[in-house]
Formats: sequence, C-alpha cells, structure tokens
Amino acid sequence: MRYLLGVASVAGISMLATMGMVILTGYTGLFSVGHAGFMAIGAYTSAILVMRFNVPFLLALVAGGLLATLCSLLIGHTSLRGRMRGDYFAIAMLGFGESIRLILANTKPVIGGAMGLPGIPQKTTFWHVLVIDIIALILVRNYVKSQWGRNSIAVREQEVAAMMMGVDVAKVKIWALAISAFFVGCSGGLWAFFMTYLQPAQFSQTRSSDLLASVVFGGMNSITGPAIASFFLAFVPELLREVAKWRLVAYGAVFVIIMIVRPQGLFGYKDIGFEHINKILGKLGLKRRRYADVSQ
Amino acid sequence: MLANEVLVIDGLVVQFGGLRAIDDFSLSLTEGELLGLIGPNGSGKTTLFNATTGVVPAAAGSIRFKDTELIGLPSNKIATLGISRTFQNIRIFPRMTVLQNVALAIHRIPLYSVWEAFLRTKKVVEADRKVEAEAYEFLEALGLQDYAKREAGTLPYGLQRKVEIARALATRPSLLLLDEPAAGMNDQECVQLQELIQEIHDKYKLSTILIEHHMTVVAAVCKRVVVLNLGKMLAQGSVRDVQSDPRVIQAYLGERRSRYA
Repeated sequence: MRYLLGVASVAGISMLATMGMVILTGYTGLFSVGHAGFMAIGAYTSAILVMRFNVPFLLALVAGGLLATLCSLLIGHTSLRGRMRGDYFAIAMLGFGESIRLILANTKPVIGGAMGLPGIPQKTTFWHVLVIDIIALILVRNYVKSQWGRNSIAVREQEVAAMMMGVDVAKVKIWALAISAFFVGCSGGLWAFFMTYLQPAQFSQTRSSDLLASVVFGGMNSITGPAIASFFLAFVPELLREVAKWRLVAYGAVFVIIMIVRPQGLFGYKDIGFEHINKILGKLGLKRRRYADVSQ
Repeated sequence: MLANEVLVIDGLVVQFGGLRAIDDFSLSLTEGELLGLIGPNGSGKTTLFNATTGVVPAAAGSIRFKDTELIGLPSNKIATLGISRTFQNIRIFPRMTVLQNVALAIHRIPLYSVWEAFLRTKKVVEADRKVEAEAYEFLEALGLQDYAKREAGTLPYGLQRKVEIARALATRPSLLLLDEPAAGMNDQECVQLQELIQEIHDKYKLSTILIEHHMTVVAAVCKRVVVLNLGKMLAQGSVRDVQSDPRVIQAYLGERRSRYA
C-alpha cells in the first residue's frame, strides 16, 4: 500500500507539471524540451528555503514556482517578443534546460554541485499531491475556458489570423510560458520533499521530454487526456521494473504506435467532463436519461 | 490629409529581395467608400493588404489611417485601431466553433486579468456571457446562427468565408479589407455575396476595399475601381471606364501583336 501511494505520488507530481504543459503545448501550441529546468529551479529553491530559512513547506513550494516563473519571463521576453518561431523556441528551451542543469551541477556551495543536495525533510504526502492536483486541474480548466484560454487556442490554430484580429500574440505566449513554469516549478518543489535528495542529473533532458510526451500522448486541446497520460507514463515504468532493460524500448514502441494510430493523441481535441460521465452512465442504464439539454 | 479621408497611402514601396511587389503606389480612400481593387495575378493586391495590416514591412512610403502612421506598427495594434481583414486563403480557427471564432474577435483583448480567469470569478462568467450574446448577434446578421455550435473547419467553403467576414466585423472595424471573398463561389452565391457586402458596408458604416476577380461583383458594389499591375497603379475610375481602358486589357490579356511582324 505504501509503495502504491508512493508511485501514485510520483504520478501526481508529474501530473501537476503536465498541467503546466497543457497550457503551453496543448492549448498555445508551443513546444518545449527544457521544462526540467523550471522543475529544477522550483525544487532547489523550495528545498533551500525550508532547510536554510525554515520557511513553511507550502509557502516554499509557491516561492519555488514563482522563481521559476521569473526565469520564464526572462527567457520568454528574449525569445517570444522577437517573434521566435515555434521550432526555434523549442531549441531555445532545450538550451535553457541544459544550462540550468549545468549551472546547478557546477555550484558547489549550498546546493552541493553534481553530488547533489541530501537531507531534505520528507514533507510531501500523497494527500498534499492529491489536493494540489485537484486545485491545479480546476485552475487550468478555468483558464482554458476563459477569454485568455481562447486567445491561446487562436494562436495555436492560426497565428497570423489571431494577430490580424488584434490578439497580442507575444503576450499570450509569454503568459502561457509563465503559467507553465509556475506549475512545473511547484511540481519540482513537491518532488524535492518527496525524494528527500536532489541531484542535477534528475532534471535531465529526458525529464523534459517526458513532460512534453504526456501532452503529445494525451492529446492537444485536452486537459483530461494529458492528465491520464501523465499518470500512465509514471505507472508504466514501475510495472515494467522487472524487465528494466526493456523499459525504454517498450516506452519508445508505445510512442511510435500512438503516432501512427492516433496522431492527435489519445484524447486529442476531446475532454472528459461530467456530461460524458453522465452519458456513459446513461448508456449503461445506470442513470435516468436526461437528453433534454443536448445542444445540437 | 483631407478631413474625410480614412486611408492615405503615399509612395508605398514593398520589396521582396530584388522584386518590387509594390512600386511607388499612392491611394486615398474617403470615408464610407467601397473601393474595388483589381489586377492580374501577382500584381500586388494582397501585398498591399499585407503592408496595410503590418504583415510585410514597407521599404519606403507611408500608410496613414485617420491620423496614425501604420508603417512600423505591429499587426495587433493596427487591428485595434479599427482595420480588419479577411484572407484570400481562408484563415478561420478550424477547431473552434463558429461562435467561438466570432467571440474571439470581440474579446481579443480580454476584459479581465489572468488571475480572474484562473479563479473564474463572477465578473468572468458575466463577461463571457455578454461576449457570447454579442457574437450571436453578428452570426444572426450574417445568417450563421444555425451553425453557431459547429466546428468552423467542418463547414462548407462558402460558409467558412462568411464566418471569416463575421469575425472581421466582430472586431468593430471602420476599415474593412476583403481579399477575394467570392473566390470559389458560383454565380448565385456571388449575387448573395455582393448583397451581403453592400449590406454590411452600409449597416456598420464601413469604408471597404474589395479585392475581387469576379467583375460582376465589383461592378455591382464599387463606384470606383483601382487597377494594379506590377505593383503600380495602372488605371482608376468607374468599372466601365476601366474595363474599356486599353492598358488594362493589355495587362490582363497581353499585347496585340501581328504574327508576321
């Protein structure tokens, strides 16, 4: 049971990060392979705030997220204001992620360089993760439903037309990046207090790709898809632990299959809401039918 | 600039490498005018729209809208000044519903902050509802209300064009730039379109520039027509004058030459 809760916590932590990626990639259409950098910033910041300055746990999490956001604004202003095109942005983020990792690995004082930072108090419980994930889900859902979210979608769908309609494309993108950095930064904090030690190698490019993979795997323009995908991607390696050698191979194979069979992702452009659950229950005859509000 | 001039283009040059797509072009548009812009393929009509809306940079000259110089301004700023356009190759938001396409144009600058969006406060709910009602009005004006909930990308071509016009109107422009709205339409649809163009032009008190190859549409709605060729103004006047102008005929059909010259 403890083991299961542990795995569920890891899954929940990556789901929180995925919520950030949902806004950045799934809705705004920007790809990043460097978000592990923001996770590292959040993790190290909150760990040090708690260990050195006795800042309360939850406050430290938020502070970690905020510092990640601040860094994202710096890179966002330089890359996105100058109308950097999608693929170039992804490369810029790759550079950012790697440089954060290398800076951490070469900073001996306070954070221990490549040796890492041990002795972080264990504070993250499954319940923390659960509550924070639920809050994150609600916040993200509100955002994408709002006028800001719709501007994001417009930028993803037809950037030129969005600009012609008067949408401030750079602003929409920078906000999306900042929000994603906050969520990813906070998840880094949770990770730090779950693992109890930090090492720059934990925030390699593989982790960035995992974050991006959840969204691609779960589907664009969907919240529930990536949320489920991030859970799945956290659980599968655990299930395959016995055949550790083949883990990455299986992982790769799954991706190739997804790309071929469902290029839009498992839940691409669809979301599971209460209406769907009602409909499914209705089909199974478990619930009174209520089709009066079908809009089409 | 005269008091009733909306758009004044003066000595505009747009260059793509060695090619002068717009070459020392000048034009003025009076308020409430519905101007036709015609010319052979590649004569620079769309480039003129692109320069006006800030998509391509100008190498020289000026474009003034009311009292503002447009050259150098970013596209979204130009849009907020009151210039809206449609595109030759349709650029709607295909995965959004028709209603959302129009709603986006109305609230392109969100009425509330990001924080309020996250918390979905009462203000957000009310603002969204208001915008939706407004969007619905635009759909009704164009007869699109039955398609409000349809994904815009799944509509037939003619309706997608209408969605694009509805979206352009929803930004509440005073200058509307229509880029070949009749492309791909049959005769009957063209008649409906010209009625629609006239109707919205009058109803929303617009100044309009219409790029169009269907001369029947142009003849029906435009009093003045400007002919563009190789980036220069070739002729201007009424449709009848322009159509009988030998230079225009030559630009479209080529020179009349004797075979044995």
